Amino acid sequence: MSLKNLTRLPRRRALAALGSSLLLPSVLKAKAAERRFAPIREEDLLVGFGHTSPITDGGWSYAHNQGVEAMKRAYPAVKTLFVESVPYSADATRIFRQFVAEGAQMVISTSNYGDFIKDVADRAPNVAFMECDGHTVSNNLGWYYITHWYASYVIGIAAARLSKTGKLGYVASFPVPSVYASANAVLLGARSVNPNATMRVISINSWFDPQAATEAGAALVDSGCDFLCGIMDDPGYLRVAEKRGVWAAMWNTDMREFGPNAYVSSVTLDFADFYIQQVGARIRGEWAPEGRFLTLGKGVDRDPWGQNVPEAVQKEADAARDRMLAGWSPFQGPIYDSDGKLRVPAGHVMTDAEMFGWSWQVQGVSGLG
Amino acid sequence: MALLSDLLGHAVLSGSVLALGALGEVIAERAGVLDLGVEGLMSLGAVVAVMTVTATPHPWLGLLAAGLVGGLGAGVLALSSVVLRANQVLCGVAITFLGLGLSSVIGRSVAGIPISAVFEPVSIPVLSSIPVIGPAFFSQNVLVYLIYLVLPALVHFWMFRTRSGLDLRAVGENPAAADAVGVPVMRLRALAVILGGVLAGLAGADLTLAVVPVWSDGMIAGRGWIAVALVIFAGYRPVVAVLSGLLFGLVTAVGFMGQARGWPIAPAILNTLPYLGTVACIIVPMLAFAKLRSAMAAPAALGTPYYRSGR
Repeated sequence: MSLKNLTRLPRRRALAALGSSLLLPSVLKAKAAERRFAPIREEDLLVGFGHTSPITDGGWSYAHNQGVEAMKRAYPAVKTLFVESVPYSADATRIFRQFVAEGAQMVISTSNYGDFIKDVADRAPNVAFMECDGHTVSNNLGWYYITHWYASYVIGIAAARLSKTGKLGYVASFPVPSVYASANAVLLGARSVNPNATMRVISINSWFDPQAATEAGAALVDSGCDFLCGIMDDPGYLRVAEKRGVWAAMWNTDMREFGPNAYVSSVTLDFADFYIQQVGARIRGEWAPEGRFLTLGKGVDRDPWGQNVPEAVQKEADAARDRMLAGWSPFQGPIYDSDGKLRVPAGHVMTDAEMFGWSWQVQGVSGLG
Repeated sequence: MALLSDLLGHAVLSGSVLALGALGEVIAERAGVLDLGVEGLMSLGAVVAVMTVTATPHPWLGLLAAGLVGGLGAGVLALSSVVLRANQVLCGVAITFLGLGLSSVIGRSVAGIPISAVFEPVSIPVLSSIPVIGPAFFSQNVLVYLIYLVLPALVHFWMFRTRSGLDLRAVGENPAAADAVGVPVMRLRALAVILGGVLAGLAGADLTLAVVPVWSDGMIAGRGWIAVALVIFAGYRPVVAVLSGLLFGLVTAVGFMGQARGWPIAPAILNTLPYLGTVACIIVPMLAFAKLRSAMAAPAALGTPYYRSGR
């Protein structure tokens, strides 16, 4: 019988732990975990970075790596490791475990790896883990994400003013929350000045496939869209827009050199301050596992406007940006989904957490399913 | 009408990469060598073309360099799988990994930087004014004409109308018999693999010099594997292989068009159209016509290394 009890005990403990993790607000747990990470000398710190694509992709991983480089300039003695193209599979677990084995005291994954990173974090309680686009906070794992929807809304206003047909085209990867939030925000921005604006989405089933993005952009222009936007790591559809004489807005970085006449703006990412602050906190022993949003103007913003965007349009869009910087949110009810169902009641202002998990398309967007 | 013309135009351009890769693979497989290195060689060709054009603003030089590198990479494959008779599947996959990794490393300095000199569309007088097919087929870049008109004609003529083409096919069907009548099996097989590699390199260059004028790591995105599959689909025939590349491009373009126009079909299904199309085009005729099954069969000695002593 003792044997039976022994084998049961850990399971019961595990159940209790599971229960408490469900019941306890994550903030409380974060409090309890403070001071877990002792201060460390700058020259002793090793930080491991896992990227989802090559850092030369000119997009997401490139933007993160720029932040890493800035952090290295701020803390020149800190040593770093990085692995590119970390797959979303058990291989990710192996790679993050390797960082720990090499002696990293801090591991930052610049994309979502869910349980693959959680497993490693749970077994290395003295290592600080951060996951971009993650959703879990544990004793030593936190997440961070950019509230890109505000910048997208600003671009949407310009889109409606620039588009003659009122038809916007969106080159998407997969129907995931960040894509819903991005497409919805652009159209809501556009509808704030042109209530008849619509958006057509093409999913190419990849975050990075320049040829497919190019073909998708061309198909959108063929079917009457004269403003292209999307969430791609490469400038494929910007070149289409340049060639076909329509407008385009991009993501991640300044890509105007690929289509200076068509370029409107971009949702640009800047992780420099955030990485400097987080690594600094780890050095001082003040790092705590939390979920954090990088807000408009502090990590995510619209890029300076393209050369052909009229000044009146720039001013109108920037006025909304100024209001958002002052605390106003344009994402308030009533907001209907594409089936005409009221999703956000009048008077309710969507929280960042709600938009982080956006899973339906707003009225006027079609193709995301 | 404009819609159809647009559709065909995209299909021709995006299918050209596949068509060229498949054409190279037909040559190698007809000689009895399964060349699975296409993906890697295309990747190498794509990056070398961009690097060359960045250094010297001449797209033709870029094309030449890509062909050379493709041939060089295929030379390694020929050495290991033909001369040393190592397992062709393993060698091919190894070449693919080598090509992908190597192109990622050497391409770092040019990654993400747009190139200035590309193959611009050249309209052919008279022909380009034919409605619908004129703009789609005859207002394209030089590579398109090369890939759809010149190369398949040359390869077809060589393979089915010349003595050395007959030798090539004999080597792929029955190397022992070919050897017995004095055909140099090793030399022909190595030549076929290298020629296939040159075309794979050119296919990569076509992607970066004519379709998407920039190098980024991973941009081949499986098109080399599709080219290998198209060869089976085409029944190992050069002209059919090129046409199947076009068909694949067309079905892909239709999928995007469907999403852009909001056809009431789920995007996930439209995105699988190329694969559904392949299944429909291969399996249905095969089931329907027994004769086709033998006509479309692979070269008898495909994938088997040749030992003279085993004769």
